[in-house]
Amino acid sequence: MSAIVRVEGLNKYFGPLHVLKDIDFEVAPTEVICIIGPSGSGKSTLLRCINFLEQPDFGVIEVGGVRVEAHGRGRAYRHKIHELRLKTGMVFQSFNLFPNMTALGNVIEGPVTVKGMDKAEALELGMHYLEKVGLADKQDEYPSRLSGGQQQRVAIARAMAMEPEVMLFDEPTSALDPELIGEVLGVMQQLVEDGMTMLTVTHEMGFARQFANRILFMDNGRIVEAGPPAQLFDNPKDERTRDFLGAITRLGSHE
Amino acid sequence: MPTPPIDSAELARFESQADQVAALQQHKQQRFQLWVYVSWVVMFAFLIFAFSGADFTIGPFRITTISLDTEFIMTYWEFIAKGVWLTILLAVLSIALAMVLALLGGLGRLSKFPPAYALATFYISLIRGTPLLLQIIFFFLALPQLGIRLPGLWAGVLALGLNYGAYMTEIMRAGIQSVGVGQREAALAIGMTQPQIMRRVVLPQALRLVIPPIGNQFIAMLKDTSLISVTGFVWELLWRAQKVGRANFRSLEALLIAAVFYWIITIMFSAAQGRLEKYMARGERTI
Ligand SMILES: Nc1ncnc2c1ncn2[C@@H]1O[C@H](COP(=O)(O)OP(=O)(O)O)[C@@H](O)[C@H]1O
Ligand SMILES: [Mg+2]
Repeated sequence: MSAIVRVEGLNKYFGPLHVLKDIDFEVAPTEVICIIGPSGSGKSTLLRCINFLEQPDFGVIEVGGVRVEAHGRGRAYRHKIHELRLKTGMVFQSFNLFPNMTALGNVIEGPVTVKGMDKAEALELGMHYLEKVGLADKQDEYPSRLSGGQQQRVAIARAMAMEPEVMLFDEPTSALDPELIGEVLGVMQQLVEDGMTMLTVTHEMGFARQFANRILFMDNGRIVEAGPPAQLFDNPKDERTRDFLGAITRLGSHE
Repeated sequence: MPTPPIDSAELARFESQADQVAALQQHKQQRFQLWVYVSWVVMFAFLIFAFSGADFTIGPFRITTISLDTEFIMTYWEFIAKGVWLTILLAVLSIALAMVLALLGGLGRLSKFPPAYALATFYISLIRGTPLLLQIIFFFLALPQLGIRLPGLWAGVLALGLNYGAYMTEIMRAGIQSVGVGQREAALAIGMTQPQIMRRVVLPQALRLVIPPIGNQFIAMLKDTSLISVTGFVWELLWRAQKVGRANFRSLEALLIAAVFYWIITIMFSAAQGRLEKYMARGERTI
């Protein structure tokens, strides 16, 4: 099957800092990919280059057949970036719900404002996705009145309501109190089961091991090692992978 | 009357130490408030006494107070009072214009498009670099020389609105900047365009934040409308007071009447402003 995401020769600099170095990989439809690696290794930047929240410096990004080069100008180029963003949904570590809108308002914002969907239709769609994340009863609540876990589930519903082809998660549970992590992972598990294509930066090794088809280990701006969880976790080839996994399992054993 | 300090018998009614401390603190707070009110009443009474016209001797001291022409006051207070509405109308229209200009100015200050940034900073510099009174007179006296004759009210609104708009640009800019970058990113990620992000995400949040400082500007504006009186074309509060005061050689009385009205208006709008701020704070939404 042909890839739904292609990243080719991606390089990104922040000033003199070379943050992403020659990143190449493909994602097949319904594939679930977990990206792990030490802090500052470029995981977030990689995700953010895929939907052009960061402008890549070199390379090509392709999502759902929309190919966008790192460089470009003008209307046509901007339109292509817009199209590419419509094919991706993103969930942030800090939720970033719109505080001036209710839960349902957040979810229908994209369909109504971006797609110009009829309000009644959007409300139905919005309720469908709120139900999917188990928050139909919170439709009229403002984000400030929701727990972190609930906010993140609304954020997932908001991204899903745009019916993207690929979902990008950037440490979706890192800002949550431990007892709230499970409900968000539960929603993500459901997306996996529904056959959603997902790229997830996460420290939840349990989730990665159970649901990922492939793990990408990043270090210092490169994908150092990639493979199915069983291989990468139990039989890592690269020393840096072993060091990283060693460090986090030592931490984990204290729990 | 001031409440006596709480005694230990009273304190013993509270079960926990925390409740006792809270009760003591609340008691202190209430006593402070009470004394503030009492002092206000005393000062107000003194002010009234100072203008009462009373004239008497206590022992070796002769006490003389300012006496006002009550007949003049009774005759003309209504004429002056009619300026209250025009004063409020001027302030409301001017603040509305100022908000629009401040928003455009704030967006310009944050723009990456050089002409927009330049236009905003040029406008701010020009207005801040010249006196408000000059700007007002300019609209009334200099424009007619160019054949532009605006009705007095509109010339006043234009002058005040342009001036306050420049000063309020910083408020709007701060409001817009206070909306976190995560908000823009979340909006971009669902495919919103820059104008959509402004309209749907950034401005609604920024406006919540700027309403209290704009309320303060409005209250300042209520009093600055009096500057328009110098042009003689707008019959607002101060113009009316000056007119009848001069004509009858009773400027003291006339100005006092105007001052009382300004004061009352300010107190009323400040109270409204305080309630609005409380209301906004109650609905404070954090991310
Ligand atoms: N906007 C930015 N400006 C400058 N440097 C940045 C910016 N964003 C990230 N970086 C730097 O890029 C590197 C990679 O960051 P990031 O992708 O966030 O890493 P990770 O998500 O793996 O922790 C880090 O050294 C970080 O300090
Ligand atoms: Mg990160």
